[in-house]
Amino acid sequence: MPLLTALGRRLLVVVPILAVVSMLLFTALRILPVDPAAMSVPPNATKAEIEVARRQMGLDRPLPEQYGIWLGHVLRGDFGRSIHLRRPVTELIGESLPATIELAACAMLVAGVLGLAGGLLLFALRDRAMEAVAETGTTLLMSIPEFLWALLFIFVFGVLLQAMPFTGRIDPALRLPLVTGFLLLDALLVGRPDILVSALQHMVLPATALGIAFAPPIMRVLRASLLDVYHEDYITQARLRGLSPARVLLAHALRNAALPTLTLMGVQFGFLFGGSLLVEVIYSYPGMGNLMVDAVRNADLPVIQAVGLTYCVVVLAINSVVDGLYLVLNPRLRAR
Amino acid sequence: MAGLSRRTLLTSAAAGLGAATLAAPSVVRAATDSATIGWNTDVPSWDPNQRFVPDAQSIFKAVYDQPLDQDPKLKLVPHLIKTWALAPDGLSLAVELRDDVAFHNGDKMTSADFRWTFFERIKAGHKIDIAQSWRKVTDIETPSATKAVMRFNSPAPTAPAWLAFLGSYMVPKAYMEKVGLEGFNAKPVGSGPYKLVEYQMNARIILERNEQYWGPKAPLKRITIEVIKDQTARVAAVQSGQVDLTAGVPVRETTRLGKLAGLAGELNPITRIILLQVRNDMGFADPNIRLAAHHAIDKAALSRAFYAGAAVPLSVPGVPGSPGYLEDFHFAYDPKLAMQLLAKSGYGPKKPARIRMATTNGTFASDYDIARAIVQMWKKVGIEAELEVIEYAKYFELNRGNKLPESTLYSFDNATGDPEIYAGYLLNPKLPFSPWKDPVFGEKVIALFNVADEKARIAGWRALNKEAVEIGACMPLLQSVQTLVRKKALDYTRYGNGWVLPQTMRWS
Amino acid sequence: MSRLPRWLRSGRVIAGLLVVGLILACALLAPLLAPHDPDEQNLLSTLLPASWQDGGDPAYWLGTDSLGRDVLSRLLFGARVAMTVALTASFGAMLIGAALAWLAGYLGGWTDWLIGRAVDVWMSFPPVILSLILMTGLGTGEQNVILAIILVDWTRFCRVLRAEVLVVARRDYVAAARLVGFSHWRTITREVVPATIPLLVTLLSLEMGIAVVVEAILSFVGLGVRPDQIAWGQAIADGREAIYQAPYSLLAPVAAIFITVAGFNLLGDGLRRTLDVRMVEGRE
Repeated sequence: MPLLTALGRRLLVVVPILAVVSMLLFTALRILPVDPAAMSVPPNATKAEIEVARRQMGLDRPLPEQYGIWLGHVLRGDFGRSIHLRRPVTELIGESLPATIELAACAMLVAGVLGLAGGLLLFALRDRAMEAVAETGTTLLMSIPEFLWALLFIFVFGVLLQAMPFTGRIDPALRLPLVTGFLLLDALLVGRPDILVSALQHMVLPATALGIAFAPPIMRVLRASLLDVYHEDYITQARLRGLSPARVLLAHALRNAALPTLTLMGVQFGFLFGGSLLVEVIYSYPGMGNLMVDAVRNADLPVIQAVGLTYCVVVLAINSVVDGLYLVLNPRLRAR
Repeated sequence: MAGLSRRTLLTSAAAGLGAATLAAPSVVRAATDSATIGWNTDVPSWDPNQRFVPDAQSIFKAVYDQPLDQDPKLKLVPHLIKTWALAPDGLSLAVELRDDVAFHNGDKMTSADFRWTFFERIKAGHKIDIAQSWRKVTDIETPSATKAVMRFNSPAPTAPAWLAFLGSYMVPKAYMEKVGLEGFNAKPVGSGPYKLVEYQMNARIILERNEQYWGPKAPLKRITIEVIKDQTARVAAVQSGQVDLTAGVPVRETTRLGKLAGLAGELNPITRIILLQVRNDMGFADPNIRLAAHHAIDKAALSRAFYAGAAVPLSVPGVPGSPGYLEDFHFAYDPKLAMQLLAKSGYGPKKPARIRMATTNGTFASDYDIARAIVQMWKKVGIEAELEVIEYAKYFELNRGNKLPESTLYSFDNATGDPEIYAGYLLNPKLPFSPWKDPVFGEKVIALFNVADEKARIAGWRALNKEAVEIGACMPLLQSVQTLVRKKALDYTRYGNGWVLPQTMRWS
Repeated sequence: MSRLPRWLRSGRVIAGLLVVGLILACALLAPLLAPHDPDEQNLLSTLLPASWQDGGDPAYWLGTDSLGRDVLSRLLFGARVAMTVALTASFGAMLIGAALAWLAGYLGGWTDWLIGRAVDVWMSFPPVILSLILMTGLGTGEQNVILAIILVDWTRFCRVLRAEVLVVARRDYVAAARLVGFSHWRTITREVVPATIPLLVTLLSLEMGIAVVVEAILSFVGLGVRPDQIAWGQAIADGREAIYQAPYSLLAPVAAIFITVAGFNLLGDGLRRTLDVRMVEGRE
């Protein structure tokens, strides 16, 4: 029950934030020096035809009214039509959001595995001569943002070794089985191992580039938590009982050090989700990032608004889930 | 990669052993009866009259027929129309249609379909781009099932050319009225050499040969068009053998891929031109500055650096071989003269004339590089240009609001080669393409649209082309090249306007 | 001679300062160091490989780009934009973020609530997305890049600093200062601000690295500095097109960004340890 109350409280925070975000997005983009009406008509349209388009798009009404209309549509799941692509924005987001979530989830998996391995390595090296080297190593790793990893991987694995595909989600000769939009899942659902293999191959480079950039902070927090835990009494007791160091580490310490690490990974997931934008652009991966960059270049307001809002919703949703997990994993907090 | 090695093996086996191909005839037939094309754009919609997208024409021409066609050298040739005659005053066009054409659903094509496509659809208010190209049409009379007369409210000397140009595809009246526009889009019916059998928006188009086609049958039974918008992805696709042919890859990649075994890279000059669209006011009000700007551009160097020398430097808005092209007129690259001209107006490298320039980035091959190279060439003679990057779609919006900068790097496609659709469109102040708004020169351009006599008309455009360049209203740069990479064994017919038609493809 | 302060004896800080100093020197001395005019195009020798590779030209150490410009010279001049943006944007973000954090933490009440909610709204945007949206509105240009980074990243300072100010404001000497009758202004400037300086300096150094990355990202997607300015992000975008022919036109700016960011991170990391600052870990 306390969990539900906590989540309810969380919802009370999230809804006003979304309201403010949507308002900011709407007004900020209306001030832009572009005319959506003029851009929605064919090149040889007359001034009168532009005015007709303006009225049809509701752009002649006062700003608060426009916002009200837009919000009303949005709440019903209608983000309007893309000016540039001339398709319903909801459809565009429906096609690209699963791709981005899939990429972010795979990248998080990579970050988690690397973070765990690196954190344990750092911890094993504590109080040794190598410690300083290893720590400087993580600082240097943290200095390579995801888009540099992405470019380096293309160069090494795509161009030099020609070992990995680096454009798109799937081999162009294969057809996307559109069930859920999550390609890996869909390949399993329709029972097509060839699609699964191709999709995995296309996922390796972008997911690793994105994941590896977010691994070093996880390594550090895991190491720090493990160090903290080792000061606690029960570890000393376990050691005194003669348990092997490996057993102490895995059975006792790691479990107790997991909480801060998981919290951090939750926070990281939000950042990682935004960081996927550049990786998508570099790998021509058809997700929200590419949709966003295209929309920005073409001043496609309905798409920019919708994609901006979707990113916020996803980030807030991730944060809420992380908060919930935190409560589940840490019963002490629930009592408060 | 597996596909490439398998096919090369098979084809080389076929070539080497000759009659021994009997060993596995079914496999070879499967490979030689179909082809996969990697194309850079999808159709904007399956209504072929709806939007003008030059790169989609090759796809439309496989499924639909145009009233007139062009041969590979761009000469107008009969197609659905057997004969045509433009009245001396240019106010009417009489045509005779074939009587043996059937649409994919079996309906016979008649003059009623002609009237529907080029008149009734427009009157009915369908939102189609051909409403603009056929706005002069006041009526289409249909004295018989194979005869029709188009009536115009002003002379329309280019009407025949337009019957073979963007968006002019015959659509079936009865079927369209029966299923409606949405229904037509979902299940399009044309009369072309291929039928559409499968379509996935922005991903894949599968065409199958129309066995009942009235004209020569296509050699290949099945064509798969993969829509691959990213040029790096197209390179990867053709290199790995996933597609048999692709176009629109970077020039340097074309040369590199062409050296690989089994692949051929082509740089084909086409009817698309690259030019600077200029204003007649602001920093370009002074003709000395405009002409200096033009003399300062080393077009041959641009071609060498960015098009492997394959793009022909131009002095008029038109390509060699087209009626408006002047063989004996050359606008010189002469930086010294440019500096003298600037000095006359009081400018020089120490005191540069300041203008702005717009360019697209990625709309056509090396556009951004060309723009930056020009800025540098100008800097050397004393013109300081501030460069800004715009999206292609924004060009028209900016021009409508009179907000384009002094010069804009632009590429213009004219599959017909007709001079009216070059200079006439690029410089007509009433059309959305021209930032040159000088009324005196504009009148001359508009007047030429109404000349009905073909000889006088072409002579007029040739004179205007020269004048436009001499007064600095137009700065043609290069004839564009189409880059194409294909398997060596897959041949096709090269058209002067860059069409890559599925119905001309064959395996050797 | 008094001994060096503790933070200057850290190996990380010294290494960081050296790297940052080196890049700064490259930026300042670019006109003297660069072997070529960075804007000079040579259309006859575009996309040359590095001088030690086949077909390289000894006049161009790292080769040329697609317009035949010297990659090395552009790298050196690119440091100017990177350092200008890094220094000004992070100072700007610090000033706004710190000022709001001091106010929120010290005054508490509705001021704190309001600023806290503003931070919440900001943090619900992934930073890259927010800066893209801002650049759409502001248009390209160095100043606008700086402005966008300030408008996005002030929350990084505000969030971390506010927690610290809360701790400081409850300390005895601050309460004492208030009791003695010091004004709010005097209490903040004399007591609260100095106590948070170590944290601030650490954050500032890390933020500079972030600013370098953000500028590169924005220029890479064509929404950063003006096209005629020399920036690493643009060099990367150009180099990516020529990855098969002249890899150094891509790898050189990638390395430059890495070295610069590593310099700022080493410095920040060293400061964090030696100044004993507690901080939430996390990227971006």
